[in-house]
Amino acid sequence: MTGSLADRQAALVATLVAGAPVPPGFDDRLVGVARAALLRKRAGETARQWPMLAAGLGHRWFPVFAGWATSRPTRGSLRDGWDLARGLVAKGQLPTVAAEELAVREASWRYDGSTAPRRRRWPAVRRVDGALVCQVAGRIRVVPLRRRRG
Amino acid sequence: MRRRLRRGLRRMTGDGATTYGVGIGWRPEISGFVADLPGLRFVEVIAESVASTGPPPALAELRDRGVAVVPHGVRLSLGGAEPVEPDRVRHFAQVARLLDAPLASEHIAFVRAGGVEAGHLLPLPRTREAVDAVVANVRRVQAELTVPLALEPIAALFDWPDDELDEAQFLTEILDRTGALLLLDIANVYANARNRGSDPLALLDRLPLDRIGYVHVAGGAAHDGIYHDTHTDPVPDAVLDLVTDLCARHRPPALLLERDGHYPEAAALRGELDAIAEASGYPAIT
Repeated sequence: MTGSLADRQAALVATLVAGAPVPPGFDDRLVGVARAALLRKRAGETARQWPMLAAGLGHRWFPVFAGWATSRPTRGSLRDGWDLARGLVAKGQLPTVAAEELAVREASWRYDGSTAPRRRRWPAVRRVDGALVCQVAGRIRVVPLRRRRG
Repeated sequence: MRRRLRRGLRRMTGDGATTYGVGIGWRPEISGFVADLPGLRFVEVIAESVASTGPPPALAELRDRGVAVVPHGVRLSLGGAEPVEPDRVRHFAQVARLLDAPLASEHIAFVRAGGVEAGHLLPLPRTREAVDAVVANVRRVQAELTVPLALEPIAALFDWPDDELDEAQFLTEILDRTGALLLLDIANVYANARNRGSDPLALLDRLPLDRIGYVHVAGGAAHDGIYHDTHTDPVPDAVLDLVTDLCARHRPPALLLERDGHYPEAAALRGELDAIAEASGYPAIT
């Protein structure tokens, strides 16, 4: 192999987390095993950070996460789950039980999708199915909406 | 103050007089279990999980009752070709001070490159260029740390194609040039030997065992013919046998159980700690 250590390390990381081809000389099978292990670890970390998202997807959690994550290097499990959840919202595929978890995060933090989330300094309200998620001074209240009868 | 002085003296003598016996990795999920261990004398905490304002109360309590707390870094990327990030080094050294730690530890590995996070510890090529990169980064960390640094070789699922040195040469060269201690993960020794088809005892015979600061013991599991050092499975008997083999050659001052998830019932965790005590000849801490 040629190139500086920095270049070769970057190429290897791109292989493992961004879907780049295996650099010459490496054992394809073993690098593939490492890639799969990293993905499992990352899915587990994201599920811990976003338990309702993972629970809502159930047995589809790992395939959905893996499909989303394979070509996207991690930006930390908070943002990984957040980006995935927003992507599912856009496709109308966010599980209902995960909506409140996402709304709480959206009300608590300001996240532009490209830089690290920051705590909101001002109150915020997000609507989910049947409830309002209200954040004031960092505290969250979920207020059920009265349904109109008849 | 007196404790700090005593630790300092022990450190200065460097005669291996301080033995901590069996310890366990402190994690928030098992903090109650850890606090209740009657014979506990040392724990380790993931350095990056400790805020620069101070450790969580449960950990501070352990420190204040005289349990040695060792910060274990996982994100410094000492093996990265780029210089280790100054903010990370500052935080690492700050945490060691906050914990009144007798030493601190990190890995011989890299975790990011070209601004992309790998999300795990990755192996280095065993080349002179990589040795130079590690040594330069270790010295940057040592310049900020006020306690000794121990370096841990990792479990590698694959090797680089162009190794110039074997594992013992690679590690010994890094330790010699930095004066660092060795954090030997006996489960990594087992995993690497099993996956490479080599003899773990042959490696133990060539490592500077008198430079061991402490030892990691952890569980793992095999998938598709590859053994994974998961820290979420039971410790295999073969790893405990290696603990015995290691202690027969040179008993390290401390051995620590690492468990990072799928926590078993307290009785099972106590059983693992007892098994490490038995394999090493140290008193049970349960």
